[in-house]
Amino acid sequence: MAGVYDFVPAIAALPFLAFLVSLFFGRYMPKRGAEAGVIATAGSLGLSTWTALTVAGFTGPATSYNANLYTWVQGVGDGALTLSLGVLVDPLAALMLLIVSLISFLVHVFSLGYMNDEGETGLPRYYAGLGLFTASMLAFVFSNNLLMAFMFFELVGLCSYLLIGFWFRDDGPPSAAKKAFLVTRFGDYFFLVGVVGVFATFGTGLFAPITDGGTVVAESFPQVAEHALGGEASVETFGLETGTWFTVLGLLVLGGVIGKSAQFPLHTWLPDAMEGPTPVSALIHAATMVAAGVYLVARMYGFYLLSPQALAVIALVGGFTALFAATMGVVKQELKQVLAYSTISQYGYMMLALGAGGYTAAVFHLTTHAVFKALLFLGAGSVIIAMHHEENMWTMGGLKDRMPVTYYTFLSGSLALAGIVPFAGFWSKDEVLFEALVHGLGTLETEASMVGTLLLVGYAMGLLAVFFTAFYTFRMVFLTFHGDARTDAARDATENRWNVTFPLAVLGIGAATVGFINMVPVAELTGAEIEFLHDWLAHGGIDATTTETYSELLHDVAGIEAAELGALGPGAVSLALALAGVGTAWTLYNVPDPVEQTDKLGGLKTLLVHNYYQDEYQVWLAQGVTVPLARAADRFDQGVVDGVVNGISSVSLFTGSRFRRIQSGLVTNYAALMTLSLVLLLIVFVLAGEVMG
Amino acid sequence: MAVVTEYYLLLSAAVFCIGLYGILTRESALLFLMSVELMLNAANINFVAFSFYWGNLTGQVFSLFTMALAAAEVAVGIGIILVLYRNFEGIDVTEAATMRW
Amino acid sequence: MPLAGPIEALLAVTLVGGLVVMLAPDEHAGKLATVISLLPLAGSLWMYATFEGAGNALLGGELAFESTVGWVELAAYELSWHVGLDGVSMPLLLLTTVLTTLALVSSWTPIDERESQFYGLMLLMETSLIGVFVALDFFVWLVFWEFVLVPMYFLIGVWGGPRRRYAAIKFFIYTNVATLVMFVGYAALVFALGDSVSSFDLPAVAQALQVQGNLGTFFGIEPPVLRLVAFTLLFAGFAVKVPVFPLHTWLPDAHVEAPTPVSVMLAGVLLKMGTYALLRFNFTMLSDTALANEGIIVAFGVFSVIYGALLALAQQDLKRIVAYSSISSMGYVIVGLVALTPHGIGGATFQMISHGLISGLLFMAVGVIYNETHTRMVGDISGIADRMPWTVGVFLAAAFGYMGLPFMSGFAAEYLVFLGAFDSGIPYAPLVTAVAMFGIVVVAGYLLWAMQRTLFGEYGLATDYDVSRAPVHDVVPLVVLLVLVIALGSQPSLVYGMIQEATAPLVPTTLVPGGELLW
Repeated sequence: MAGVYDFVPAIAALPFLAFLVSLFFGRYMPKRGAEAGVIATAGSLGLSTWTALTVAGFTGPATSYNANLYTWVQGVGDGALTLSLGVLVDPLAALMLLIVSLISFLVHVFSLGYMNDEGETGLPRYYAGLGLFTASMLAFVFSNNLLMAFMFFELVGLCSYLLIGFWFRDDGPPSAAKKAFLVTRFGDYFFLVGVVGVFATFGTGLFAPITDGGTVVAESFPQVAEHALGGEASVETFGLETGTWFTVLGLLVLGGVIGKSAQFPLHTWLPDAMEGPTPVSALIHAATMVAAGVYLVARMYGFYLLSPQALAVIALVGGFTALFAATMGVVKQELKQVLAYSTISQYGYMMLALGAGGYTAAVFHLTTHAVFKALLFLGAGSVIIAMHHEENMWTMGGLKDRMPVTYYTFLSGSLALAGIVPFAGFWSKDEVLFEALVHGLGTLETEASMVGTLLLVGYAMGLLAVFFTAFYTFRMVFLTFHGDARTDAARDATENRWNVTFPLAVLGIGAATVGFINMVPVAELTGAEIEFLHDWLAHGGIDATTTETYSELLHDVAGIEAAELGALGPGAVSLALALAGVGTAWTLYNVPDPVEQTDKLGGLKTLLVHNYYQDEYQVWLAQGVTVPLARAADRFDQGVVDGVVNGISSVSLFTGSRFRRIQSGLVTNYAALMTLSLVLLLIVFVLAGEVMG
Repeated sequence: MAVVTEYYLLLSAAVFCIGLYGILTRESALLFLMSVELMLNAANINFVAFSFYWGNLTGQVFSLFTMALAAAEVAVGIGIILVLYRNFEGIDVTEAATMRW
Repeated sequence: MPLAGPIEALLAVTLVGGLVVMLAPDEHAGKLATVISLLPLAGSLWMYATFEGAGNALLGGELAFESTVGWVELAAYELSWHVGLDGVSMPLLLLTTVLTTLALVSSWTPIDERESQFYGLMLLMETSLIGVFVALDFFVWLVFWEFVLVPMYFLIGVWGGPRRRYAAIKFFIYTNVATLVMFVGYAALVFALGDSVSSFDLPAVAQALQVQGNLGTFFGIEPPVLRLVAFTLLFAGFAVKVPVFPLHTWLPDAHVEAPTPVSVMLAGVLLKMGTYALLRFNFTMLSDTALANEGIIVAFGVFSVIYGALLALAQQDLKRIVAYSSISSMGYVIVGLVALTPHGIGGATFQMISHGLISGLLFMAVGVIYNETHTRMVGDISGIADRMPWTVGVFLAAAFGYMGLPFMSGFAAEYLVFLGAFDSGIPYAPLVTAVAMFGIVVVAGYLLWAMQRTLFGEYGLATDYDVSRAPVHDVVPLVVLLVLVIALGSQPSLVYGMIQEATAPLVPTTLVPGGELLW
């Protein structure tokens, strides 16, 4: 019987078809290929919903699905691995499929307003790119093994290159696209080493074991790793201790995550990527590329739980990035730049949660962030259309009355981003911080107190970032929508058509309500059973990827303990910080004629405006180190290596030119030489004969 | 009473050396040709002498071949000398060195 | 056994075809040669479809389309015409015929003088390339191996760029000397085998070498040392063709001066002769010596990868960039071969095919751009994506293929090589592999940089030509190659199955920790 799981590949195949249709037939279509994309993503959304309902048990018992479907490389002979592509659908994947297809559908619709109505050229290429982007991300989400995940991870990178560089006639976008691909490629290098390492170590890259009628047909690598740590299985660890080697593997894969999820120090590509069309930014930030990194950690969480060191690194990187990026967002002048830094910062939170053992919190934040960040970007896109592609917030102001739909939805998203109760971001961010705090405190008293300390450091940075987040978010809102219009463009701005406002409305409602799926503090207060996401992730047909298993591993293997602590106190602290941030922004910028307050920061401002000189040193690494090295290699090659080759030829030619003088052209000389040589030979023979004889 | 083979060989060596001397010292192509003939005939003397010494006719047959070859060689040689004369207005071999390098 | 099988027919058709084309009038030569080249293409496709070989040609595998005809006897050695295909040579044969046809089509635009000679020589080159991959007797193989140089010499020297004579002579002498070195190595092996072989036949020699005690002394050199000496000579000889650092400097010159279709053949097939020979001689006949010296050999491979990529980074000429990156890509082949693991050797062989297609594709794309702009310098061109969208699209795809984008053949090949090398007996295998893998970052760096400068931005051109869309017959070969690259990347088993069949017997059953000689 064909169940819904047989159609899961179609979730990715539909946008892929849209890619082909848009690419080859887009120019013959009235909307230049958008039709294909909208229909395909709507289809994906429908299938994803069906899948999610099936996983949840609405259509029967709750199930999950994990199977290899396509043999990519068949190993022949002893010890040759067979590499397959397959589908893994568990609660996590189902949730993510839903998010990605929803956002992508809305982005396609929005693009009708942002691209078609603005009379852009090259639209078939644009929609083809969007289709491939969506398809790769969806396939990445349901990948059942690390290699397949890597393959689609790379395709996601390719699509980001194509879409960021969409306006290739200008100088900025191609450069930004190159940077995005190169920086993430640098991270992916480590990821690839990790993938190869995982396959070489465990002989499999499966995220979850494949079972057939209750018996395990193929084990997953996190499980094998767990057995190896417990001494029940042995794996090749290349001369390192088992635990150390697993930490190394985990950190290698983390390289790809840091690149794609724009974590410090590989975050530099993301702000530049704003050169791409705004709907693409929405897709990249909310649901596809950047989300891919964090999703990957969640996907192979069972492996990371085996290494507390790796977890601590994740938490520290996440907490640091959250604070670091938030401070940079404070001084940005352009709408999309602020949002870009907020994305980096928010993904830092997710990493913090994952590192601190807050798997559910991370997934929760991933979900809510997808909704409100897509909303904010699309809202920004709406403003940009109305402002005729002017992005500097200082040229805006007072758009509130002229663009009401955009304003109220944007406000909803901003409240969510700032973490104001009861909007989505509050619940998820609160849970992230709470998890970091309790696990930090709990672990502090155990043997792994170092890990606990790191978690608490991450928590402190994340907490501090709450203030900055609220501040820059509302600075953005006030500068854009409040006060007086500061330019003619802002005075003449009008609300956009349905294809812009409809996605905004959907997401605006979402940003206000998505948080209700997991209201931990309320649940604690009232005792009501409303922690839906917790329940959703705690169960599922595949035990190995449930939070039940994860919490056991967290406790037993990673040695990370949870302290007894109520959720209300920490929640109140973070809410207070967020409100303080909003209040500061209110006093500084919610005035008819706001002025740049950044000068008060003094030298700090220069540092922040230059993004802590992160770009500078990376550009220096590329242009100041690699290029001179390449030039030196070239000189060495031309001078020394080829010099030797040409030298040999010169020596031959030179000796030839000397020896040829023997050829005098006089027969007499030749005859004399022959005679002399013969005589010499005879003498030599005679002497040799005497010596030998 | 037959002559001792060594004398033939001495004669042959003498003729050969005269030919060699001619090649090493003369400049006229015609004299060259004659010197070469001398050297060839020195070889012929050797052939015949050894043939006589061993009582084997092969050497004499070979000397017949050599004579035929020498005739052919002279024909070619004279031809070359004629061309040489036409191109260089003389048959001095030291003049014709334009093709050396 | 019939005197002429399909392989002989293939060789005869291209040989006769080449001679006929040479006599044909110039204006028809291109089309005629292309049509003629369809015959070996169809033939090789048919052979691929009906391929029934199994195992390795040299180690007693079952050969497809084999034929043996005794020829002459020289002292104790018999020379015979011995040809056949196994899973390694079949894909390479296919690569040759496919690339030749496409290269011929891509010659229509750039070649506008002495056409009949050009196309005739291209077909003669195809003959000899096919011969190299099918020949199983050393002398037959050597004749083809050397004969490849003759058409190549003229193709570069007559139709090349400004420094064509220098490049052609350098290419010819360099590779010719290499052959001499290699020949000495092989001859020493055969003579030292003494009575255990009665011919120079490759399978016979390979199998004789597998038996311990067969190898005697040669001029007082003891067998273990002799193996090492022969291995070194063979390796040095073939390394020139591959090319491996430091024997690579003929390559950029030859590529830059050669006309585009010749570059395609040079990068696509000629370089594979080197790695193919390495696989056949060094890593099949003397695999134990290879195993014992893995550390040194892999160092050459890894160094070539990184060094070639760095050199490519420093170039301004698009063709030079691709040429140097070939050195980098061929380094992966060395790394894979020396790993001597199933996916290592298999992946290396797959990389030969993959690199043949992708580098051919990239050279052709550069050629199409050159046809329109008459320059290849990065600084001279900008923003041509506007004028020739399809060409640029394919160029982009080819470049990403080169960078190892999944679902294109380059990724499959590189991944398999890495997988094979990571878990091999190479000393510090994971570390060494990781260093080699860094090539994928550098390759992305220079290709993205070059593309940004040339394809994107505002349109501009330093030469006095007006860029317009390329003619259809220029773009079609690109599209065909791209489709092949994607097909092989999505389903490597199209050729990887037969490759593994043929390379699996080379994997040593017991890995010996590197450092000491086995024999």
